[in-house]
Amino acid sequence: MLSLSQFKTMVAAAGVDIRAGEKRFSELDAASGGDGDHGTAIVTAFNAMAKAGGDDFKSYLKALSDALQNEACGSTSALYGAWLQGMSDAAPEGAAELDAAALAKVFGGGLEELGFTTRARVGDKTLMDALIPATEALVSAQGGGIGAMFRQAAEAAEKGAEATCAMRAKFGRAKNLGDRSVGPRDAGAASMACIFAAFAKTVK
Amino acid sequence: MPMKKFINDPANLTKELLEGLALCYSGKVKIVSEKIVVRATPKDSGKVAIVTLGGAGHEPALSGFVGEGLLDASVVGDIFAAPGAPKVLEALRMFKRDAGIVLVTLNHAGDRMSASKALRDAQKEGINVREIVTHEDISAGVDTPEEDKRGLAGCIPLYKIIGAAAEAGKSLDEVVEIGERFSKQMATLAVAMSGCTHPQNGGTIAVLPDDEMEIGMGQHGEAGGGRTKILTADETAERMIAPLVQATGVKAGDTALLLINGTGATTHMEMLIVYRKAAQLLASKGVKLVSGGCGEYLTVQEMAGFQMILCKLDADHAECLKAKARTPYWTA
Repeated sequence: MLSLSQFKTMVAAAGVDIRAGEKRFSELDAASGGDGDHGTAIVTAFNAMAKAGGDDFKSYLKALSDALQNEACGSTSALYGAWLQGMSDAAPEGAAELDAAALAKVFGGGLEELGFTTRARVGDKTLMDALIPATEALVSAQGGGIGAMFRQAAEAAEKGAEATCAMRAKFGRAKNLGDRSVGPRDAGAASMACIFAAFAKTVK
Repeated sequence: MPMKKFINDPANLTKELLEGLALCYSGKVKIVSEKIVVRATPKDSGKVAIVTLGGAGHEPALSGFVGEGLLDASVVGDIFAAPGAPKVLEALRMFKRDAGIVLVTLNHAGDRMSASKALRDAQKEGINVREIVTHEDISAGVDTPEEDKRGLAGCIPLYKIIGAAAEAGKSLDEVVEIGERFSKQMATLAVAMSGCTHPQNGGTIAVLPDDEMEIGMGQHGEAGGGRTKILTADETAERMIAPLVQATGVKAGDTALLLINGTGATTHMEMLIVYRKAAQLLASKGVKLVSGGCGEYLTVQEMAGFQMILCKLDADHAECLKAKARTPYWTA
């Protein structure tokens, strides 16, 4: 079982690692043709999320989504807002702990909602390159327990983020760079992999 | 090179620049709810309202065009980043009216996502709002699909056209029709000689070698293709006017508007020299230019370069351009 307090600790741990990577995320963004502020945006998002509270998964995830959409700007606001909103919608009413099946449903619901907000999929050099395989790995590792689910998800996210190096951007501002976007890791995929890595090491 | 700018805490750039705008132009605009810029004296609520959204760091755009004859409100995000959907929805609620609202969105990923979510939520609440998306940038090629063309400084003359139509008491359908028609007949091409620094983190955006320029560079240094050795003003104008003529379909006997938008570090001297050649080329094709513009409308910090905007005008567009305007950065 994953308790809400464990999950809050995971989110806080992800915030610490995201803040530590701020400069790298902005540099990756600039290097692959964006406007060089992904680090700024994702740190703003985690600073906003740090103010969210809630007594069960549903309300906590909703509070994260609202706080982030109110304070974060740019694509991060819409994309992370939709992801967390979808997770909240898929969470059982009033639950302060989730079993493996419910957890899989929560992450599955997040990805589904995000899929309505962006047309990007695997291969487009966006955060989806990390999030889609991570979610699939998390869902299929249900039998191995919560710890295994996040470990597998983190590995898949890292692999997906690494694969973006060879990709040509098709979405966001980076798409205008064309072939010159090939080489660096996508900034959004990099921060997403960082979040899953922090989840995996915190949940144990 | 370290960033050299007159700023304070980088976290407060947007807040402080908006405070400055409201203090400087207190007779024209004011700030409500932190990041929504509205007119000091609101327009008659029986008329269509014009609202837009976008990131900061591009001053005077977008908020410098709030005022009589142009925008009713501009919803501001952060530096180079769109506001979140809740802020856009808040502005739409503020301007809810029977006459309706036009929301102008520049085609960039973040802006589109926030606008779409806000529009869905607003329509669920019964707010009468329609969207005009600008995507007039032809840097990726004249035949690029609309969805892949970015919205550059062409939004500014569009605000003027639909703002005037709304002031004249046109209906929502009429304002949208005039605006969509104008939008289809305009095209923008950008050229850059140097990139800029992101004012929040000091990072460099779009590095160009000292002896090169790039035609098609967008408003945050997104590349658009054409890198060359530096050309003269006349050669640059020639290279830019041909695809703009093709994209707008402007021909002998037509009336057109030509604007040169400096992106931050290019002098008015250079802009006027470029305008001269572009205007001469259009005149030689038999195109009649209305009174145009050379100046900074939508900047990208200290990026050197400009955007050339060509708009084919119908008679009603030309009338709208002449109508009274009283905003911080566009008066007529």
